[in-house]
Amino acid sequence: MKRFMTLALAAALVMAFAATAFAGATYDKIMKDKVIRVGIMTDSIPGAFYNAKKEWVGFDVDIANEIAKRMGVKIDQVPVSNKTRIGFLQQGRIDISVSNMTHKRSRDNSIDFSITYFFDGQKMLAPKGKFSTLKDFVGKRVAVMQGTTSELNVKNLLKELGDAAPKVISYQKESECFQALQMGRVDAWSTDSTILLGYSAQVPGKYELVGDFFSNEPYGIGLVEDDSKLRDTVNFTLQDMWKDGTYEKIYNKWYGPDTKYYFPLTEKIEMWP
Amino acid sequence: MINRYLEKTWVQYLCLTTVVGLLVYYFGWVFDFGYKFDWSVLYKEDPSYGEVLGGMLVTGLNLTVSISLMSSAIALGLGILFGLGRLSQFKPVYYFSTCYVEFFRNTPLLVQLFFWYFALPMGLPEGIRNFLFDQNFEMLAATVGLGIYTSSFMAEVIRAGIQSIPKGLLEASYSSGLTPFQTLTKIVLPLAFRAIIPPLGSEFLNNMKNSSLAMVVGVPELCWASQQIEGMTFKGFEATTAATVIYLSLSLTIAGILTLVNWKLQIVPVKDRTMGHKFAHLLFWPFEAPFAFLAKMHRRMKRKRQDDFNLSRAQAARKAFLAKLSKVLGFVWKATFLVCLAFLIFSAVYGVSKFNFQVIRDNIGTLLWWRFPQGDPNEILWGLGGLSFSIIMSVIAISVSFFIGLIVGIGRTSKNKLFLIPSTLYIELIRGNPLIMVIFWIYFFIPILTGHFLNVFWSATIALTVFTGAYLAEIVRSGIQNLPPGQFEAAVSTGLTYWQAMRKIILPQALKQMLPAIVGQFIAIFKDTSLAFVIGVLELTFVAQGLNNRLMIYPFEIYTTVAFLYFICCYLMSLVARRLERKLSTETFRLQM
Repeated sequence: MKRFMTLALAAALVMAFAATAFAGATYDKIMKDKVIRVGIMTDSIPGAFYNAKKEWVGFDVDIANEIAKRMGVKIDQVPVSNKTRIGFLQQGRIDISVSNMTHKRSRDNSIDFSITYFFDGQKMLAPKGKFSTLKDFVGKRVAVMQGTTSELNVKNLLKELGDAAPKVISYQKESECFQALQMGRVDAWSTDSTILLGYSAQVPGKYELVGDFFSNEPYGIGLVEDDSKLRDTVNFTLQDMWKDGTYEKIYNKWYGPDTKYYFPLTEKIEMWP
Repeated sequence: MINRYLEKTWVQYLCLTTVVGLLVYYFGWVFDFGYKFDWSVLYKEDPSYGEVLGGMLVTGLNLTVSISLMSSAIALGLGILFGLGRLSQFKPVYYFSTCYVEFFRNTPLLVQLFFWYFALPMGLPEGIRNFLFDQNFEMLAATVGLGIYTSSFMAEVIRAGIQSIPKGLLEASYSSGLTPFQTLTKIVLPLAFRAIIPPLGSEFLNNMKNSSLAMVVGVPELCWASQQIEGMTFKGFEATTAATVIYLSLSLTIAGILTLVNWKLQIVPVKDRTMGHKFAHLLFWPFEAPFAFLAKMHRRMKRKRQDDFNLSRAQAARKAFLAKLSKVLGFVWKATFLVCLAFLIFSAVYGVSKFNFQVIRDNIGTLLWWRFPQGDPNEILWGLGGLSFSIIMSVIAISVSFFIGLIVGIGRTSKNKLFLIPSTLYIELIRGNPLIMVIFWIYFFIPILTGHFLNVFWSATIALTVFTGAYLAEIVRSGIQNLPPGQFEAAVSTGLTYWQAMRKIILPQALKQMLPAIVGQFIAIFKDTSLAFVIGVLELTFVAQGLNNRLMIYPFEIYTTVAFLYFICCYLMSLVARRLERKLSTETFRLQM
């Protein structure tokens, strides 16, 4: 019995110490350890995914590596999903999150964002030749991914176009959305257009993007709340990458005209003089 | 000195209150969570989205309840059917039921749901597929899939219950002139159901918790709703807590109902009935009364027509005709069954023969060990993943949780409140929640509490361990309580201390009884490793999904291979369990119908 109480007391003490060890500015920690931990997705083609050789590649992976290189630290790539990326940042499991996250005001309450490093918008992917405008999707079934902004965008769009009860089905993964589209369970799949491009490129000629962008999806790099040193560093690094052309090189590697996922670069990232 | 005080109940309560008080003080005021709590997301209108997000939880709860009810009904129906099928003397029925039960019991529900939802419609003709898709196919697939999964467990419970009926009763009923059908409905089933109710009840409970997996096929149930709120506001702690509380209250409600049913079914003389029994009888009276009335009327009508041993010619002819008819019908039924079975086997073989085996051959290595040993240096176990990862996870979880279960289970049988209350709390809290919730909790809160970050592999393994521990504790408790109390009294009276008696007398006997149940739990935990995919552990299901994601057009091949891999492992374990059961059972006779 006595031993039990001692143990309990010891456990409480350990916890108390652990709590004090938890605090500390992220930027200083990165520079001290010379390691930056970056959260990256694993199943977003061509953002970040495992290729046929089981290597972890993609646009986000290259951006993350470039940032680490320019900060002069080593990179520790941590796999995240749309479920875990925020929790990880808040708890300090990762220092930054490069995982196609749309910058939203209500999300800014929980974490910070860098300047926009990728410009995307939402579109509809549907079987070729079946639909011509967004209006055609009224009353149709649309697949979306849970935990993303696309779900609400689709609902709002369909409501605006006159659909009283939009039939939106949400899945856990991108692959499941695409599978649902392939088997005809849904008439369209809606999310950020680059993701749609990545998937439709796997079965060329069968699917097409329909209509215009109906939402802006500015991607930001997720950062821990209230660490302005880190935020400045990441922002400046992104702007430097843009200035010396590295950004374009990485962009063209994944989204250029010679790739399966051609997506012309039309906007400029925010540049501070 | 201390020991004497600790035996007093008020001291035990005082200690517990102090510990709770300290914990509340520490986590309420001292500890820094590094997280801004904002409970208003649950009840205030969210400005970005223009709705009260807590409402989603209510709709989700609604769906959870309806899925659970419908799938329970399906499961009970199919469970009775296949449970009896496993006792049939007509061998094809027996083999078919056995295959059904073994297959659905030994593959993870997650994989089954993926199959029903994503793969099955592709094998159906266009017309039927479109008809299905015009219905609410998500709900349909989830409910039926869940029902079929649970039915395989219920079938086993029912089979075991029926087989536990002594042979003498059966012989007596046959010799008193009852037909096999009458024996079944009047003697076997009523008795068996009394024995079956407790394990069947826990299957209902599991069924409700498993309904949380319906979210993977896009059903917006409770777990989905909490994830949705998290995704929209990034307030995961609040949403998960709300869902946990709801799940816990649902579980407790179901457990309460089951206790009432148990009381109702107990055969206790009227004068010995406790308040609980009386309450249960009062509560179930409205349900029971119509049946009782019907039975009474039926008896009254039947009594008039008495069977005579001296049959008239017409009666004899009629009887002979009926006997012949039933024989013919029986033959027709058997033939139909065989034809259906043959068709089923043929279509399964035909389907498999059209597989692209090259895909399986190319990727089997990936499914088995991912990219071991060519992984990055900071990857756990040199980039191991897939099936071997699942096995490692379950082996760790099994070996550690066994000791947790043993300790907590003993604590649960202790009279000392200091051990009893925390053990009970642990068991009820964990068992009242779906595993997926436990995984989320461990995953998000171990880092907050300890300040150390765990690899997803470790947090999933810890979650599995904690989860299995609670279930094993219940098995240990029932094993200990099943022993006659005289054993313990005798041991203590010979001068052994509590721990000596436990270690040398009680546990060896109890463990022997518990072995089949424990192995069953081990199988369950191996299947449940598939749930670790929600936090991105590279186990078999996750790897399979990644493959499917990349290859795109071979879902049948991949999911069948995955189901097959899970099945082999689980089935081997259940073979061991069956051998143990046979070896340990005192009665070798098995009832056949």
